[in-house]
Amino acid sequence: MARSVWKGPFIDGYLLNKAETARASGRNEIIRIWSRRSTILPQFVGLTFGVYNGHKFLPVQVNENMVGHKFGEFSPTRTFTGHSADKKARRS
Amino acid sequence: MARIAGVNIPTNKRVTVSLRYIYGIGPSKAQEICGRLGIPAERRVNQLSDDDVLRIREVIDREYRVEGDLRREVAMNIKRLMDLGCYRGLRHRRGLPVHGQRTHTNARTRKGKAVPIAGKKKVTK
Repeated sequence: MARSVWKGPFIDGYLLNKAETARASGRNEIIRIWSRRSTILPQFVGLTFGVYNGHKFLPVQVNENMVGHKFGEFSPTRTFTGHSADKKARRS
Repeated sequence: MARIAGVNIPTNKRVTVSLRYIYGIGPSKAQEICGRLGIPAERRVNQLSDDDVLRIREVIDREYRVEGDLRREVAMNIKRLMDLGCYRGLRHRRGLPVHGQRTHTNARTRKGKAVPIAGKKKVTK
């Protein structure tokens, strides 16, 4: 079920401060965040975030299409490269 | 034979049923349309007057997104997700289930027919 509109988008409050200071400092360095659950807001557009995936910080360049999604959606937590087909064949 | 919303030619079925042959119109929308135009539920398409057919066609053209337009919209939404590089887009790209279902077993609708593992040892004896 979708979240109630009257609550507004969910976001961890400290992200706003972080984004603001990054904006103010001018140079767009990667803002490291752990808050994968936070919604991407319009004021984040243009900034680059390093979203933690439990292993490293993946850079996410926010564009206007991403608004409304969560940060975690852009930083996959699992690595699956596919099954190698020939391994079993060699053994038998 | 009645042509509504382009290619669709529903048959000698009830109006509420035959409208559902249009992509984008299901049970509830079909009933909604009939209710709004005052067409009784047991009326069949071949019993409709030309005027009724015209009114149905008009309502659908005006207020519902069906067939090509709807298909295009759905495809656009999926394309947007894929271009965005988000998790759901990745799942679409790989042809795996998008809504967090298990893939250990099942998920055959998205994955297609099961392929045997290449070179798996054959049972002898």
